[in-house]
Amino acid sequence: MSSSSSKRHSILPPTSTSGPKPPVQFSSSITIADSTVLTGSNPILISSESVLHPRSRIDSLAGRISIGRRCIIHERATLGSVGTSGRITERGVTLGDYVTVEVGASVEAGDTVVGEGTVVGVGAKIGAGAVIGRNCTITARSVIAAGEVLRDNTVVYSNGMRRVDRRGVAELRKKGQARQIGVLRMMIPSNPGKFQ
Amino acid sequence: MAPLTPYTYIQCPCSDASTLGRQADGDSPEDDDLDDRTFDPRAPRSNYSLYPLDYLNYCEDCQQIRCPRCVAEEIVTYFCPNCLFEVPSSNLKSEGNRCTRSCFQCPVCIGPLSVTSIESQPDPNLLAAPDGTPAPHSGPYILTCSYCNWSSTEIGIKFDKSNSIHAQLAKLNNGGTARLTAKDHKERRKEGSHGLAGPPAAPAPTAAGNGDDNEELDVETQFANLKSFYQSQLADSTAGSSGLAGLTDLGFSSPTSLSRIMSIYTGGTVHDRRAKARPGTMREALSSDEGLQIASLDESSAIRELHEAGYDGTISTEQSTNQPPHLGEVYLHGSSRFASSLRPIPYLLRTKRSKRCPVCRHIISKPEAKVATTRFRIKLVASAYIPTITIRPLNIPSSPIPGTLPPLQPSQFILTFQNPRFETIQVTLATPAKTPGRFASKVTVLCPQFEIDANTDVWDEALKDSSDKTKIRRRGAAGEDGTHQAEAGKIWERGRNWVSIVVEVVPASLRMDLLEATANPLKEDEDVLEIPMFVRVEWEVEAGGDEVGTAPGRDRETKERCELAYWCVLGFGRVSQA
Repeated sequence: MSSSSSKRHSILPPTSTSGPKPPVQFSSSITIADSTVLTGSNPILISSESVLHPRSRIDSLAGRISIGRRCIIHERATLGSVGTSGRITERGVTLGDYVTVEVGASVEAGDTVVGEGTVVGVGAKIGAGAVIGRNCTITARSVIAAGEVLRDNTVVYSNGMRRVDRRGVAELRKKGQARQIGVLRMMIPSNPGKFQ
Repeated sequence: MAPLTPYTYIQCPCSDASTLGRQADGDSPEDDDLDDRTFDPRAPRSNYSLYPLDYLNYCEDCQQIRCPRCVAEEIVTYFCPNCLFEVPSSNLKSEGNRCTRSCFQCPVCIGPLSVTSIESQPDPNLLAAPDGTPAPHSGPYILTCSYCNWSSTEIGIKFDKSNSIHAQLAKLNNGGTARLTAKDHKERRKEGSHGLAGPPAAPAPTAAGNGDDNEELDVETQFANLKSFYQSQLADSTAGSSGLAGLTDLGFSSPTSLSRIMSIYTGGTVHDRRAKARPGTMREALSSDEGLQIASLDESSAIRELHEAGYDGTISTEQSTNQPPHLGEVYLHGSSRFASSLRPIPYLLRTKRSKRCPVCRHIISKPEAKVATTRFRIKLVASAYIPTITIRPLNIPSSPIPGTLPPLQPSQFILTFQNPRFETIQVTLATPAKTPGRFASKVTVLCPQFEIDANTDVWDEALKDSSDKTKIRRRGAAGEDGTHQAEAGKIWERGRNWVSIVVEVVPASLRMDLLEATANPLKEDEDVLEIPMFVRVEWEVEAGGDEVGTAPGRDRETKERCELAYWCVLGFGRVSQA
């Protein structure tokens, strides 16, 4: 790579900062990138050590968003978009601790709950009002219908097939997540002040 | 409806009815019929003979197109698609067509499985200290699927070593118990029978005292037990042969038929001379030691499992057919129907194949034998020998539905023929005046005969003065605004090694009420305007080959005239139904 320009330019258009600035409640230890988009009118709550990648998008228009501890929200992931129902509820999206929402995934608002330790894969979509159990894996591009309830340790794969994860590696996963966050904190410049 | 991209399919002559060995009849009406016959792209047979140009090969010696249906294939190498290990074909017979190293597919989702070691104690040591003591990779190993999170611990299988998983898996039953081979069984039996007196000669139907009488045997052991039992029976019965012959010779319990069957399956070792002595009947197996398996009709355990696991716990047909033949499985009631007993699938081997012309046995395509390379040593593709035909709309009246052709109005298309050969070729085109099928569209090729200049080195062309535009000669009356009028008998445009001509079509109306026949509804894709076209290509080559060429050139003896003729189908687009 040539070092002619030190600054890398994104091919994406600049993030829109229009819309109301939502009330936020941040823990002091979170990592939130400068180009993360927070919009909406309801409060957004992010607990300790969670990481929000650049260009992740959180929309609290349809209800309150709360993100648990040590969650990772990847690039272009969307939390709290208003679903097809257009329902507005008090609790929009609730993520438990250690939840990973991978690139381009979308979690719609409307009393949606994602349980502790769950991974929402690349480009997956979770419908409004779905309740995902603990330590689930939603593989890439899977779609969870609105209002669906998944039990703990469910793996959704291959166009909606279901199975139960019996590996019992939840603790290991948490450990890995913690290490990943440790690296990400060094990589992503955090600017929580911009949103407060 | 999505607009249709124009396409060109070529009919391989191998499926041509006139070449299918019917000439011997010499029936003149039949021959006339064949001569006048136009190729119908909608005939049911045509589905199997039309190929895009890229699918076709070309035999240089026969000077003929070869499609995937008319080549003979030979396997060059067998390899595992996962580890790219080349398997010698001698191993294939002994070890089967699956990878015998460590390559496995997930039985649930067919994703690749990876071998990982299990860390002994998962300590909840969190973010604060990234502990610098990664577990040494020594512990037991498991196979895991990173997609659906299946792991071999679900069927209770762990491995001691991280390599040669296939051999280790063959020795393990589900649940991790070691599979007893036939030899082990024999040894165990020997130890057990020391106390007992001899073989169970007397038929003892109430053999409840023997604990492992109904022991569940796997396929291999059962076969071995049965085999040894019948061998001993044969030896016994031939020793005491009776005078009654012939009558009992055909039943299941007849030793002669049995020895015949056994010699079929085991290679003739049991068929000894003494069997000619017409022995009497003999008894059947009575215990599991002798290979008897009593069907256990008690399915309560399966029902209980179904209650627990539900429908999601059962396996699909696909999963069960993907299961490799496992010698250790309990065979009697078929394989298990629950996902909890699925075993990892060793990767099926793949092949690299070479293709031969079936007529002259010359090789048409031969890949490099090494697995990792994707190159070919020999590859005679048709696009290097016969002209490429591309279709471009020229002048299409506006249609109520965008992207479709209006019926009963002339539409013009440009056909561009590109010559890949390094010789000048003469092309002659022929189309039926009306397309075959229920809706007959009118077709006019404005210039059915033309010559295309030879292909040259691309760089010669590129390095020439680019401002020299004289190469592209455009015929037809050029208007001031750059619009041209297509003229009959003249080519439209000409370049280095290509020629464009104009085809005019008048699509038929698809209205059913105009059709005099009983109006069946419009069939699938019947609205696509497809035109069969007969292409005849002629060129001259230096006489070098002995058997090529149809007519020797008259002008010079060193030149030979070759020709190639085939049908192709041009798909122009959909006809508007409005």
